[in-house]
Amino acid sequence: MNRFVTANPSKCIGCRTCEVACALAHSDGAGVEGLAPDTFKPRIRMVRTADVSTAVMCHHCEDAPCVNACPNNAIVYRQNSVQVEQERCLGCKNCVLACPFGVMDVVTVPAVRSFAGMTLSLGVKAQAHKCDLCVGRDAGPACVSVCPTSALTLMDREAMDETLRRRRERAAQEAAEVAA
Amino acid sequence: MEKHMAVCPYCGTGCKLNLLVEGGKVVGAEPLNGVTNEGELCLKGYFGYDFINDTKILTPRLRNPMLRRSRDAAFEAVSWEEAIQYAATKLSAIKAKYGPDSIMTTGSSRGTGNETNYVMQKFTRAVLGTNNVDNCARVCHGPSVAGLQVTLGNGAMSNSIPEIEHTKCVLVFGYNVADSHPVIAKRIIKAKERGAKIIVCDPRKIETARLADLWLPLNNGSNMALVNAFANVLINEGLYNKEYVANHTEGFDEYKAIVDKYTPEYAEAITGLPAEDIREAMRIYAAAPSATILWGMGVTQWGQGVDVVKGLSGLALLTGNLGRPNVGVGPVRGQNNVQGSCDMGVLPTEFPGYQKVTDPEVRAKFAKAWGVESLPDQIGCRLTDVPHLAETGKLKAMYVMGEDPAQTEPDLALVRKGFEAMEFVIVQDIFMTKTAMFADLILPATSWGEHEGVFSAADRSFQRFTKAVDAKGDVKHDWEIISLLATAMGYPMHYNNTKEIWDELRELCPIFYGVTYEKMEGLGAVPWPCRDLDSAGSKYLYEGNVFQRPGGKGLLFATEWRPPRDQLTEEFPLILCTVREVGHYSCRSMTGNCAALQTLADEPGYVTMNPKDAKALGIRDQELVWVSSRRGKVISRASVTDRTNKGAVYMTYQWWIGACNELTIHAVDPIAKTPEYKYAAVRVEAIADQVWAENHVQQEYAKLKGGLSNAVSRAVKKAPAYA
Ligand code: SF4
Ligand code: SF4
Ligand code: SF4
Repeated sequence: MNRFVTANPSKCIGCRTCEVACALAHSDGAGVEGLAPDTFKPRIRMVRTADVSTAVMCHHCEDAPCVNACPNNAIVYRQNSVQVEQERCLGCKNCVLACPFGVMDVVTVPAVRSFAGMTLSLGVKAQAHKCDLCVGRDAGPACVSVCPTSALTLMDREAMDETLRRRRERAAQEAAEVAA
Repeated sequence: MEKHMAVCPYCGTGCKLNLLVEGGKVVGAEPLNGVTNEGELCLKGYFGYDFINDTKILTPRLRNPMLRRSRDAAFEAVSWEEAIQYAATKLSAIKAKYGPDSIMTTGSSRGTGNETNYVMQKFTRAVLGTNNVDNCARVCHGPSVAGLQVTLGNGAMSNSIPEIEHTKCVLVFGYNVADSHPVIAKRIIKAKERGAKIIVCDPRKIETARLADLWLPLNNGSNMALVNAFANVLINEGLYNKEYVANHTEGFDEYKAIVDKYTPEYAEAITGLPAEDIREAMRIYAAAPSATILWGMGVTQWGQGVDVVKGLSGLALLTGNLGRPNVGVGPVRGQNNVQGSCDMGVLPTEFPGYQKVTDPEVRAKFAKAWGVESLPDQIGCRLTDVPHLAETGKLKAMYVMGEDPAQTEPDLALVRKGFEAMEFVIVQDIFMTKTAMFADLILPATSWGEHEGVFSAADRSFQRFTKAVDAKGDVKHDWEIISLLATAMGYPMHYNNTKEIWDELRELCPIFYGVTYEKMEGLGAVPWPCRDLDSAGSKYLYEGNVFQRPGGKGLLFATEWRPPRDQLTEEFPLILCTVREVGHYSCRSMTGNCAALQTLADEPGYVTMNPKDAKALGIRDQELVWVSSRRGKVISRASVTDRTNKGAVYMTYQWWIGACNELTIHAVDPIAKTPEYKYAAVRVEAIADQVWAENHVQQEYAKLKGGLSNAVSRAVKKAPAYA
């Protein structure tokens, strides 16, 4: 099963700590000073409507619409998650339109190449931009670790089994109450 | 990488954290397992440290003492000797000419710590000879202190923060915990998970309202009517604890007579709430085996704040929810050390440790300890009196430390006039602020992260914080500066470190005596009262249901509801209520200089409004709009949301362009002198030319930022070699 981060709307207080942690976890070590409004692109977003506050991010679907929609096979299943091979991304935005959760985006970054000690500018490079579960970060998903109300959880097979077990128990309990 | 233990400088939760330091620079913050935060931090705690590094995003750090010899001159950097001598000469001359009561000082409820506040009030009382010392509690929880002191005898939270998650009912009144104290919000969520009922009284659908079992969206300005109706239900439905009321309270008959008319049906007309919901709320509250009331600025920032505080404490008294674990009344302090500045006697009425200036024995004790013949016996003036007293010529000099009244007080035009009318203004701060622009002398201090000391969390816990990095520039600790000034004015004052100050004040304050630096080592937190060296402090107050009042009983108090002061008219048909948001703190001099926090929210800020109001005015979400009141006019950005009630608009108070305090009214509570920030009549207008408006905001913002940073850079360029 693919792992993914879920948010519990009955715990989220809409504080956006997760957004900043996510942006920082992908700042190549630049730290907070590298953050600015124009370039702030967290892969998790707090959404606030009249009745709900919660965070939304990639579900790492098992049969992912973005993977299916990509004409250049840039999105792949790897390490029990959905990952983007950025060198293959064309920036065509098929995946953006295909994602039912609105959590895939295409961003552009300055493209450079180093050649014989010189840095050449190559215009811009497109990137399909979404939660990568912080692969490569030793401490795991950054958003999960900072959320002050523990609204975020990393769901892997084990956590999922535990959730399902509790739900089934509750269902049995409720069934018994109805029967009684 | 080095790690230095600190306490977060942003709110009264008092979260313990480590500052991560690399090469003399703070590069990160990580949570520690403190008593109040248990390994959590919020947005500001995690990402609010880089202001220490002088990012200059909003304003520059102050590096030198700066002086201007006349108000139209530019600031020049001067040596500490000259700065201190200048201040001493000026203050002494003003004192000699107009008397000690012509000078006012402020403590700081922010990063400086308790020791500095103790030294500031000592300077004010022993050296200047006046009780004119106050702090920003005046504009926030002043009414909680004034109200609770009368009804229960102690102005602080009765129970500790960790207890909140073990209570069986939380009544949240005018308190947006998610934005004010995110880490306390977690306690409420946990309480709910443990089966507690949550009742929220707030006109807006704040985050806790969303999670509540019962949400009472009362009309803005109807607090007293609702609290009286609550009491009415408790009494008339026989839900109150008769035994407790008989044994531990007084005033029941008068109380009952006043609340008698406030039936839920009667209150319905004032509060806009269905009578049945008012009843339901009290049935839940009274049925819970333990219940806690938490409140914030939605209760205190009114012309009738003190009365409502007294009324809320009455609900706890009626139901016996005091004097034991997991119950109580909680005025949850906003700024990180506003509890501390009150503890330290930065109040015109009290010496440190809540000892009254009107008590001759107390005065004699302090006079002896401080080596002066006598101390002033008249209650001093309040921060909110300042503009008026300055304009009428009663106040001639002001020494502002670590506060920015030209941003945070109501009716800023009035505040500016007040400053202009003074003969001499000293501002001591870490940043160039709007208030510093009115100063004659600016004294640069070390910041949180550059010094150590003790803070008081909202629940009375004293906690130590340590220094992480060396300060840059020609700056000194706040308490050192005040000591130098005292000495120059002929009162030798010298401390080697904060512990010396702490030990001096411990000796003078019986309720703090047992709180030693050793007990606060590491993650240690000691809640006062703590009278003995072997005591661990008091997690909750009023043990044995003994109240700190003559006779030891709690006072039941009610009074008639009074409508808010400002009048809604056709010209100004909407209510403006000022609020706060999670990412910014106080006047924003700190958080505005933090890259992450400034990335999430910047000028001109938002005015949030209901879709129906917006539609009627032809305003769309995210458009710039004019907001005006009888006192001023500012530009802000509309945020159109169903969470905001119809008829009211909300703005946060830290913006320079969208400065809501240009609009607020200087109407104060008669006792606490806290302003009615929560109710000003305003008009909101659409702006047709949005391109012009966007440019206007950018230009004005650049102009203000430029003005402040030029004042500093010009002074420093001219700085002589010693700088
Ligand atoms: S950090 Fe947690 S509480 Fe805050 S917005 Fe994200 S999910 Fe919600
Ligand atoms: S797991 Fe990592 S990449 Fe995904 S949303 Fe959280 S912080 Fe961002
Ligand atoms: S602002 Fe308050 S809740 Fe947030 S980390 Fe600091 S002390 Fe804790």
